[in-house]
Amino acid sequence: MKMNATLDRRELLKLSALAGAAAVAASRAGVAAPVAPSGVTAANPDAGIKWDKAPCRFCGTGCHVRVGVKEDRVVAIEGEPLAEVNKGLLCVKGYHVGLALYGRDRLTHPMLRKNGKMERVSWEEAVDVVAKRVLAAPDKFAIYGSGQWTIPEGYVANKLMKAGLSNNHIEPNARLCMASAVTGFLSVYGVDEPAGAYDDLDHCDVLILWGNNMAEMHPVLFSRVIDRRARGGKVKIIDLGTRRTRSSEFADHYLEFKPNGDLAIANGIAHLLIKNGTYDKAFVEQHCNFRQDKTAASLNGESMTFEEYKMALAPFTPEHVAELSGVPAEQIHMLADLFGRRDLHITSTWCMGFNQHNRATDINRLCHSIHLLSGHFGKPGDAPTSLTGQPSACGTAREVGTMCHFLPGGRLVENAEHRAEAEQLWNVPAGRLKPKMGYHTVLMWEKFCTPTNQGGDISTIWVQVTNPGQSLPNLHKLFQAKKGLEDKFLIVSDVYPTATTELADLVLPSAMWVEKNGLYGNSERRTQQWFKMVNPPGEARDDAWQNLAVARRLHDLGHPGLKDKDGKFLFTFQDDAGKEVPVWEWPRYYEMNVDKVLFEDYRRFSRVKHKDLAPYDEYVKARGLRWPVVQQADGTWRETRFRFAEFDDPYVKKGAGVQFYHSSTKDDRAQVWFAPYTPPAEVPDADYPFWLCTGRVLEHWHTGTMTMRIPQLHGAVPYAYVEMHAADAEDRDIGNGDSVLVKTRRGELRLPVWVNGRSRPPRGSLFIPFFDERLLCNLLTLEVTCPISKEPDYKKCAATVVKAGPQAGKVGSI
Amino acid sequence: MKLNESCSRREWLAEVFQPWKRQRAEGVQGRQAMPVTVPPASAVAAAPDPPVARVAVIQGRFCVALTSFCAVCVERCPVPGALQITRGMPSVVADKCTGCGVCFDVCPAPRKAVLMLPLAGRLGAGPVTNMNR
Repeated sequence: MKMNATLDRRELLKLSALAGAAAVAASRAGVAAPVAPSGVTAANPDAGIKWDKAPCRFCGTGCHVRVGVKEDRVVAIEGEPLAEVNKGLLCVKGYHVGLALYGRDRLTHPMLRKNGKMERVSWEEAVDVVAKRVLAAPDKFAIYGSGQWTIPEGYVANKLMKAGLSNNHIEPNARLCMASAVTGFLSVYGVDEPAGAYDDLDHCDVLILWGNNMAEMHPVLFSRVIDRRARGGKVKIIDLGTRRTRSSEFADHYLEFKPNGDLAIANGIAHLLIKNGTYDKAFVEQHCNFRQDKTAASLNGESMTFEEYKMALAPFTPEHVAELSGVPAEQIHMLADLFGRRDLHITSTWCMGFNQHNRATDINRLCHSIHLLSGHFGKPGDAPTSLTGQPSACGTAREVGTMCHFLPGGRLVENAEHRAEAEQLWNVPAGRLKPKMGYHTVLMWEKFCTPTNQGGDISTIWVQVTNPGQSLPNLHKLFQAKKGLEDKFLIVSDVYPTATTELADLVLPSAMWVEKNGLYGNSERRTQQWFKMVNPPGEARDDAWQNLAVARRLHDLGHPGLKDKDGKFLFTFQDDAGKEVPVWEWPRYYEMNVDKVLFEDYRRFSRVKHKDLAPYDEYVKARGLRWPVVQQADGTWRETRFRFAEFDDPYVKKGAGVQFYHSSTKDDRAQVWFAPYTPPAEVPDADYPFWLCTGRVLEHWHTGTMTMRIPQLHGAVPYAYVEMHAADAEDRDIGNGDSVLVKTRRGELRLPVWVNGRSRPPRGSLFIPFFDERLLCNLLTLEVTCPISKEPDYKKCAATVVKAGPQAGKVGSI
Repeated sequence: MKLNESCSRREWLAEVFQPWKRQRAEGVQGRQAMPVTVPPASAVAAAPDPPVARVAVIQGRFCVALTSFCAVCVERCPVPGALQITRGMPSVVADKCTGCGVCFDVCPAPRKAVLMLPLAGRLGAGPVTNMNR
């Protein structure tokens, strides 16, 4: 498209994301330029463009976009003004989300490894290969998906595994991401997911970022807060972190703590609240119990009295906390004084800083606990809220329960009652669901990468919508060790070649985002729906279809699990006229809305934990609805912003004020936890003197498979780097841009150094972003997990830096 | 490099994009640019080459800094102090800007927020470059 000078600017903006200026920069940046949308003229830029709504494909914020489609191609993106989440705004990734579809190397046909070479095969053969691998060893088969599965996709995979194959080896990458938030919420409230909503950001007086770089990771949410300031509003931002980030630039206080110092700080706040008598006595007496892990780490721990709680906190004086955390005592007093004030509204947010932590469940619990202890809960602006990194970490992984220990709707595989309910809802014989948990992610991959005769009892993994070859920790051990294990078989459904497809034996091309129907659930319990708008390229097909086709093939090959109690196929689909449609035949898949049938089927599971979902058609009309969505007397459906609070949550008893109606102690109370300070799993020493932290950057989303193919984003941050403190660099005679070797006990990686760059790690600390598939920082990371959530700690291990040469190496031409 | 010297844009680009000059951490105040190596020869050759002295201007209405906390132009600017951030928005210090266009190239906004203007009155000043095409 030509950007004519006379073109109206407003119209230009509308067409913005996919517009031509990008092509110029792209050609200079040496990356693939987007094909210009055809037929869009300057005189009439809107000609023939059809607009529809969809949530953004990237992070867990869940912004809504308007997608402009012309001639079977996404040609424009703009922020959806009707969406409460983003109110028409988008971040730099969101503006370009349409280009995620149009990388030059989309996978377009199934490929099977034959004699070491990937060869094109038909879908027929591919589906057959998968089904036969399953049949050969049903118990050694596993599915590894993600929080980017749409809700129906995750639901099909979960039902296929648990109800069809009686196999609980299904995990999402959310295990690497949100699992600790889940165990935190469960052990405190007895039910998963935040009580608050993004509305808290509009009402809080104090926003505490707990190891949370919101400016880069959830920029649209952070801009909501910064915008309040710009309009004269007062909001104090306190950034607690282990390095200065872009968020710190906006903070009133930046408190830098030593790794795991967060545990000490939270205990220090609780200590002072009690010592100063500034905790909320009435709230605690009415709504809280006290708990701790006395012996071993467990989800529900053991109860303790208030006196015992007080005793346990006694050592956490500000001075002791200062020693453990490195944060001065007066800053601990400052935090405790804020929490001690009833006239302020305090919102805490966190993301991977808490969740990827060797005591992740503990730090989640402690953060909830100081909010409960101080009564900063259940009012707009008073909330402890975890943010998610994936668009449907909540909606699919957590709510559909695509984890090795979950059943849909918050049920547990180990709970006989829950299994019986699920068996009834799925109409399968009693005993079909296996009571034993499957392997959690790290274990699943460890078993897959271990030779069969040495106990490696996972032989086939089907990866869907994720890239473990880049995102698993300690990649040598948990992924690359698959190489050479002849009897192991890796199936990967994806849209682009990735670090994972490199080791795949079968690659299945998938449709993505608006190439299919979908539903996602964001961080604030908001379920969002969209329709298919364009066709996928080549032979790429929906992930839900892939699962259904394999299920049907297994049925036809005689696997008994694919039949329900009445001998009917586990997945049946009837169109509006009541006629059965064999949707596993691809040409017939879009004869009806398969998503709607699957969602309505799944919706029946959502009531037991009061995660009530509305009928599919309500989501078609809305820009997302936050559960519980409850039908009103007049037939309309009402969403809930603040859970457990009487003024907004219809499930709270009248007069109760606040009621934790899923309390694990069955007394409507939440649990205030004590958890001790525990040091990190691997601490720097003489050989490995640095802390190494990994994470994301604003421009790239997770493993970069989509954003690295978007020229504007690739051009902005073209390759990974290691950030270090200027004085550390000086000590080692390292200059900005020098190539260094970062080594840990697990691997080494050559990277350019960025000194005084975007973020500022303190002395003795390094940071590497994980988006670059050419520079895999997870060759270095540690696979130690939180003992309760089994989520790995990517945020701290011991490393060393050696100067490697004067140049930044081959990678990274802009 | 002196800006008002007449030089071909190709030579000039080659100089701007030269391998990262090693900067000692010592004594460097404030931000340092992200390390960038030479672009592929084809990319340099493909660039248009009118010998024009230019200056970058940030067009606030196209900039995504306020909603996205983007500062890529500032991070990648090879001239210390030529781009600065004030209240979240990047701006160009015209006296320091060499007009190299790196900020234009890396700006990830859907509509480029960087405009390259001719430096009026300077030797080699010409019409608005066609980079914004």
